Amino acid sequence: MPILQLKDVTKVYEGKVTHRALNQLSFEVEKGQFIAVMGPSGSGKTTLLNLISTIDQPTSGEIILNGITPHFLSKTELAYFRRRQLGFVFQDFNLLPTLTVEENIVLPLTLDQQPVHVMEERLKGLVEKLGLHSFLYKRPNEISGGQAQRTAIARALIHEPNIILADEPTGNLDSNNSKEVLDLLSKINKERHSTIVMVTHDPIAASFCDRVLFIKDGEYFNEIYRDDRRQTFFQRILNVLSLLGGGQVGDLTSIRLP
Amino acid sequence: MTLHQFAYRNVVRNFRIYAAFFMASFFSVFVFFIYSMLVFHPEIEDGLLGNVPILGMVIAEVILVLFSWFFIFYSMKAFLEARGKEFAILLHLGMEKRQLSKLIFLETLLIGTISIFLGMIFGYAFSKFFFMIVREILMLEDLPLYFSWKPFLLTVTVYSSAFIVITKLSVNLSSERKLIDYMKGHKNEIVHKSYSRKKAILAMVLIAAGYLLALFTTKATVISIASLVLLCITVGTYLFFSDTTQYLLEAIRKKKKLYWKNANMLSIAEQTFIMKNNGRMFFIVTMVSSLAFLCIGTLATLSSYTSQYDKLNPLGLIYKGHTDNPYEEMHISSIVKQLEDKGLSYHMTHFDVVKQTSSFTQFEVEVFRESDINSLLFSYGYPMVRLLPGEAMFIPYTEESIKELSKTKVRTVLVENHIPITIDRVYPELIFPSSIVSLNSIIISDGDFKKLKKPFSGFPDEEPGYHLFTFDIPQWIETTDIGLDIFRIVSNEYLKDKYSLPFYFENAGLSYSYLLATYSLFTLVGLLVAAVFLLAAGSFIYFKLYTNLDAEKRKFDVLKRMGLADNELKTLVSHYLFPQFFLPWGIAMMHIIFAFFMLQKILQDIANISIVKEFVLSFVLLVLVQVIYYYLIRWRYIAHVRN
Repeated sequence: MPILQLKDVTKVYEGKVTHRALNQLSFEVEKGQFIAVMGPSGSGKTTLLNLISTIDQPTSGEIILNGITPHFLSKTELAYFRRRQLGFVFQDFNLLPTLTVEENIVLPLTLDQQPVHVMEERLKGLVEKLGLHSFLYKRPNEISGGQAQRTAIARALIHEPNIILADEPTGNLDSNNSKEVLDLLSKINKERHSTIVMVTHDPIAASFCDRVLFIKDGEYFNEIYRDDRRQTFFQRILNVLSLLGGGQVGDLTSIRLP
Repeated sequence: MTLHQFAYRNVVRNFRIYAAFFMASFFSVFVFFIYSMLVFHPEIEDGLLGNVPILGMVIAEVILVLFSWFFIFYSMKAFLEARGKEFAILLHLGMEKRQLSKLIFLETLLIGTISIFLGMIFGYAFSKFFFMIVREILMLEDLPLYFSWKPFLLTVTVYSSAFIVITKLSVNLSSERKLIDYMKGHKNEIVHKSYSRKKAILAMVLIAAGYLLALFTTKATVISIASLVLLCITVGTYLFFSDTTQYLLEAIRKKKKLYWKNANMLSIAEQTFIMKNNGRMFFIVTMVSSLAFLCIGTLATLSSYTSQYDKLNPLGLIYKGHTDNPYEEMHISSIVKQLEDKGLSYHMTHFDVVKQTSSFTQFEVEVFRESDINSLLFSYGYPMVRLLPGEAMFIPYTEESIKELSKTKVRTVLVENHIPITIDRVYPELIFPSSIVSLNSIIISDGDFKKLKKPFSGFPDEEPGYHLFTFDIPQWIETTDIGLDIFRIVSNEYLKDKYSLPFYFENAGLSYSYLLATYSLFTLVGLLVAAVFLLAAGSFIYFKLYTNLDAEKRKFDVLKRMGLADNELKTLVSHYLFPQFFLPWGIAMMHIIFAFFMLQKILQDIANISIVKEFVLSFVLLVLVQVIYYYLIRWRYIAHVRN
């Protein structure tokens, strides 16, 4: 049974200029899969992520998360759904500057009013696994980007969500930190069998996934699955991207091999 | 497009952005103008308002000007900070700093001109309404609307200079920021725990000491202690906001059981930063609110005093003299003549009061004759006194004493003449104001009074009694100019160390007019100051919120994604706003409660009236205003962060 199903999802932004961000997009994600969604700028990646995050609603079509159709839920139920079922990792980390690293991590559990001993137990496990010891009591503006993103990942994991949604998690990181974060994500995916949906621009980041879905102008374009070697997978991703660019190589100039 | 056109279009097309700043300027012009209308009122200049000292009003106006300058300066700063990103784009496109200054200057000038213009128009329109309120408070017959160029000129001068100076100042004083910082937009300064435990505790000690001093002060020490209390409280409050709040919040943060529970973490962590970043502002708001509360409280007290004045001073004129007072005949006949010339009806009673020694207390008592008292009671329309020989009655000296004396029963002998009497009742109304009669005053029957042949044992070292002339005048307010010469002699004598005149004179109407004048001054100044301060205190918070709105929006966006439900968002916003609104006020209220303990002591000695009721009433009103303001801003704030 797939954990995430999209059926003919269409999103139209009304306004002075009507804009169709997604057009009859359908796909499924199995439990435990690490999937990347790729596409050029303006292809509707962020819209897609917002729809899966349940903070926005599709104009037509259906999204089913873990057997539930969240868009039938009331506002409050939706909030409860998000805080229990979904974990978020953002491009600019979005750690709250007033809280320490430790407090940022336990934030989802405090929102859910869990008892303090549960928080402490889970925090202990995560701190060990992600290596957060050295900066646990610092504030977000005192730590590096990589450390901040590791904190954000810990925050996304602490409430053991069914799906982790990552929006360009490596977008603000240098290559070393990027690799570290991606390794971490795939490790979590393997060890915990967490389902991860990652939106990215970066073919290197995508090459860490099991499966890459390409969208263009809000429509399904192509998808490829990972093979044994990351290097060849990366090459295939580049190939699709060059197709996606419509023959123009303008989109690919920044692509480099690791 | 020239820079002038650019500035004009900026303001006219984005008026919503400028609205907050505009409103702040508009309101200060509005209040200032209305007040100027009053100060320049021809009837006030002619002195018809009574004895309201013009100087007091001018001082109030100066305070108002200074405060509104500060207010505009603060609004301006917040406004410029909120527009940081917009300036960044202009600087990025290659605008010179000089040009940017000119742009800001032009824009402010435009907004300033509009707000001065509209402020004066609305001010003029509302002047009549304000005059009506003033007329009611001051009990004037008429305070008509008038037209004069003076208030207009003053307002335009004060505010156009204010806008020009403040714009120049705030543009030049704003610290040189790098373009890149502008681009990133306004960042909340993240300060680390930088409090000292010593200072935190010192603040508590200072405040507690100030309160204790206020509690244990007496009338004699109040002047010397007041400044000490003020110092303790001011320093204490400053340290309280800079250190104690941090110290307490840090203590809470260490208790995970409490701190991590529910969403406490978010609101408490947020408070740490709010307190740290805005400590100075909260300090100002607290002190300013304290002052405003004090004004309003004093006002309420004085108004209750004037309303009780009639009851406390039942007599229009009182002349009291020694038994051998050589001026008696001259003074009394001149008073009577003046009353008749003015055509005021009066009822004069002449008392021969005799001092005797009471065997019960061994102290002196002042003895009044039944028929004398009845003559006065008759003119009051109060019930008469009927006493049999051997019976006596207390004369109450205050409202409270009536209750007390009614329970007292004394058998005593007037020692000098061996007259045994039983004092077993009290007259149930106040007959004389408390300053006239002594604490030991009794009425005895005419028969017994005749037997008082032998004078007071202290005679001739002490006076054996006195003569009292009372004038009961129904239109007592109109007696202000009766016996003015006698009144002057008496009040001059009062300033000397020893009172050596053989007579004493009291004119209730005249005292009342002085009291009323003081009260009017307090009313006007208090009203004005309170209105401006209340407005400003709330606006400071609003501007601070407005400046940080972008960062706050981002924060709530993250939280909403993480599953913050709508009602939780509201709770969080409430937790966020509540301390900002009510902590400074709460502290100010505490300060005021103790300030009134001091005030009460002085007033009790002077007027013997309790102010608790008025005090509570004015507090409730203020809290109500603040609660409404809180909900208004909370509503706007939630609307902003929700989307």
